[in-house]
Amino acid sequence: MSDDIFLSLNKATKLYGGIPAIDSVNFDLRRGEIHALVGENGAGKSTLTKVMAGVVTLTSGTMTVEGVEVLPKSPLEARHLGVAMVFQENSLVPTMTVAQNLFLGQERFYNRLRGIYIAAQQFLQSLNFDVAPTATVGALGAAKKQMVEIARAVLHKAKVIIFDEPTATLTPEEKKYFFDLVRDLKKRGVSIVFISHAIEEALLLADRITVLRDGRKVVTDDASKFDRARVVQAMVGRDLSHTIYGVRKTTVRKAGARVLTAQNLKMAPMVKNNSLSVFAGQITGVFGLVGSGRTEMFKIVAGVLKRDFFYGGEIFLRDKPVRFRVPAPAVRAGVAYVTEDRKVEGFFETSSIARNIYLGLMSKFPSGRALLSRREATKVGRDWIKKLKIRAIGDEARVVELSGGNQQKVVIAKSLAQEPDLIIFDEPTRGVDVGAIVEIHELINRLADEGKAVVVISSYLPEIMALSDRILVSRQGKVVEEFSALEATEEKIMYAAIH
Amino acid sequence: MREFANRFLGRGDATIAVPSFDGVLKPNQKLEEAEILLECAAPEDLATDGRTIYLADGPRLLRLDGGSATELRVFEEPISALASLPGGELAVALGGREVRIFPEPSAAKPRAIFAAGLSAVNALAPALDGMLIATDGSMTRGVDEWAWDLMEHGRSGRILMLDPATGSSKALADGLGYAFGCCATGDGALVGESWRHRLIEVRRDGSRNIALPHLPVYPSRLSPASPDGYWLTAFAARSLLVEFVLREPAFRKRMMAEIEPRYWIVPRLRSGDSFKEPMQGAHIKTMGVVKPWAPPRSYGLVIRLGANGAPLYSLHSRVDGVNHGVVSAIEINGDLIMIAKGSGRILKLPIAPLDKELGA
Repeated sequence: MSDDIFLSLNKATKLYGGIPAIDSVNFDLRRGEIHALVGENGAGKSTLTKVMAGVVTLTSGTMTVEGVEVLPKSPLEARHLGVAMVFQENSLVPTMTVAQNLFLGQERFYNRLRGIYIAAQQFLQSLNFDVAPTATVGALGAAKKQMVEIARAVLHKAKVIIFDEPTATLTPEEKKYFFDLVRDLKKRGVSIVFISHAIEEALLLADRITVLRDGRKVVTDDASKFDRARVVQAMVGRDLSHTIYGVRKTTVRKAGARVLTAQNLKMAPMVKNNSLSVFAGQITGVFGLVGSGRTEMFKIVAGVLKRDFFYGGEIFLRDKPVRFRVPAPAVRAGVAYVTEDRKVEGFFETSSIARNIYLGLMSKFPSGRALLSRREATKVGRDWIKKLKIRAIGDEARVVELSGGNQQKVVIAKSLAQEPDLIIFDEPTRGVDVGAIVEIHELINRLADEGKAVVVISSYLPEIMALSDRILVSRQGKVVEEFSALEATEEKIMYAAIH
Repeated sequence: MREFANRFLGRGDATIAVPSFDGVLKPNQKLEEAEILLECAAPEDLATDGRTIYLADGPRLLRLDGGSATELRVFEEPISALASLPGGELAVALGGREVRIFPEPSAAKPRAIFAAGLSAVNALAPALDGMLIATDGSMTRGVDEWAWDLMEHGRSGRILMLDPATGSSKALADGLGYAFGCCATGDGALVGESWRHRLIEVRRDGSRNIALPHLPVYPSRLSPASPDGYWLTAFAARSLLVEFVLREPAFRKRMMAEIEPRYWIVPRLRSGDSFKEPMQGAHIKTMGVVKPWAPPRSYGLVIRLGANGAPLYSLHSRVDGVNHGVVSAIEINGDLIMIAKGSGRILKLPIAPLDKELGA
């Protein structure tokens, strides 16, 4: 073994119910290198990294750290070996503050809260992360939670840091900070493994790239020897480069009837006097940086959040005023909200796919149901698994066992089972592989073609540009600009989002 | 009790909220790009028989010939509405209190006169059966006192069916929040209700339904579009400031008693002429330049509606423009002729490029 190899896996295999998640994978990680792991959802990236981080143990094969064979059985053991992982689904305690989360597991016998806050403040500032150490994690947005996760890994002085989709929720500015941080860690001799679905990021940042497909390693090579087409080809075994974000819209759908009108909506401090309309038969893209209030705005529409009690503005659904205090009446009125945080808000992860989808349907019944039909649940579940091509061992598979893309499809199916007229997709392809992105985009387009009013909230500009017929740009709690897809450019949109 | 709760919480009728100009109403500056055919002192309404364009300018009836106008006759009162009827007849509303139907524009004697009970007739349109549809904006205020009617929450507008054959008239609907603008439909009329910011469809039997609610503007006149649909003009855009004032009776009462009407907080047909206007400085300007997106005191808008009354596209003159207070638009020979009353201009835009660019 070469001296500069810090960690390696030899014929690593992990079986779930006899089905391999990873199969005889050989992987090595050099000291101070940035190594990108790419592959479709279900390719085995997360399992491979979870093995390194001690979250799951190998069924067969070996793992060595600095030439010594090891078998970490818990994340704590892995951290003692110098391996830390920043999870895609965040593993923070939502009821604790940022500082408490950062120092979780490193507490002393006597902890002075003020000291922890000061240390956390200094540390976060050194990383250029704009997060208040006294803020409760549950109240933070997805991007800030991710920042805390990253900060925690850096704080633990790990020799290997594994990032699972680290940039999915970050704004372009935050991404730049993150890239600088990763390069800085590299200079300090820390090895980085990062999983990303943004291939450009892998090509830009990584020294080496490993591509996995169906649990097997396809190729490992220097990043300089890859281009986007080669990565995609290796990932999916077919060329998709022209079907995802590459093609610019030349026509847009005409607006149908006005389905949603929001007038001077307010929810301090996130939504400020926001007004917009959404039309049937069109995809309305909503772009904005994290903190621009776009998610909160549509959560108010869907009854997930409440507008201000006094002078909170008005919402009209099909020209009738509505005020949803909880999501169920919104669902009955034909509004579906597909959450950006599927792990927390999207499903019950230990329940089966069919049951999750059926639960979505339940909210259509005005006063609930005393008895749930297992047969009906199975039928509904099977139908949607087939319709959305959800890849699972069976329809009784638990959602937690699915890959990110398939979990997202379950969340979408749960909403579509409600037969909504207005469907709000919040970051629909976050943490989803290229193959699933294409399928989800096809589905969103199909819904608009069927005459549904579709809203796509995304902080990823190519996605907004590829999907939207009209693009609303949100800044500081309100829509500040509207573009037709034909006139929009990335520069124009970004300018409106920032200035 | 509910009203008190709504006022306290800012809900229901007490919500101070204005729809946004988005979707097909997304702002552009098309009205500012229009060709100026003519400038006149008090243009009010347009009518056409398909060949000739008639223009009401104060008490004068003009014939528009390209960029020039020929005076056909002068009435004793300002013309408040015009309509060209089949057979070359012309209907003229004078001062809002009288409607005369002339066999031809220069005829000395009218064929029919309607005067009883009229107060503020502001639009006329031929019905499909030879009748004449008229909108009477308010029973309590004259045609020039629309700002008073708005501040008093006027709800006395009517739609009238005038029968030139018998000289009789019948109210199809009343209790409207300033009826302004009408156009015949299959079984009745499409009518603008300015203070409620909507279009309603009123049938012959008196039943009505809302055709286009929640407009961000105060609609004015309607005219037929080719091959189907309508042109709807709007004389002003709504603003949060006016909506707020409309919910403050004590303020309105004092304002109306003590302030000169042209400086009231009400929608205007033109603005920016005086430093005494209610919105100044950073409300409307940045670095000394008027912001197009500033809260509008005056605005110009024409909306192309489909056959079902749904908007297809729109032509704007934003806050930094001058072609504000659009009160009439008619289509003739592939062109759209409009009156921007605020600037006293007659404007022309070719329709085919608009259809192509904005997608009718």
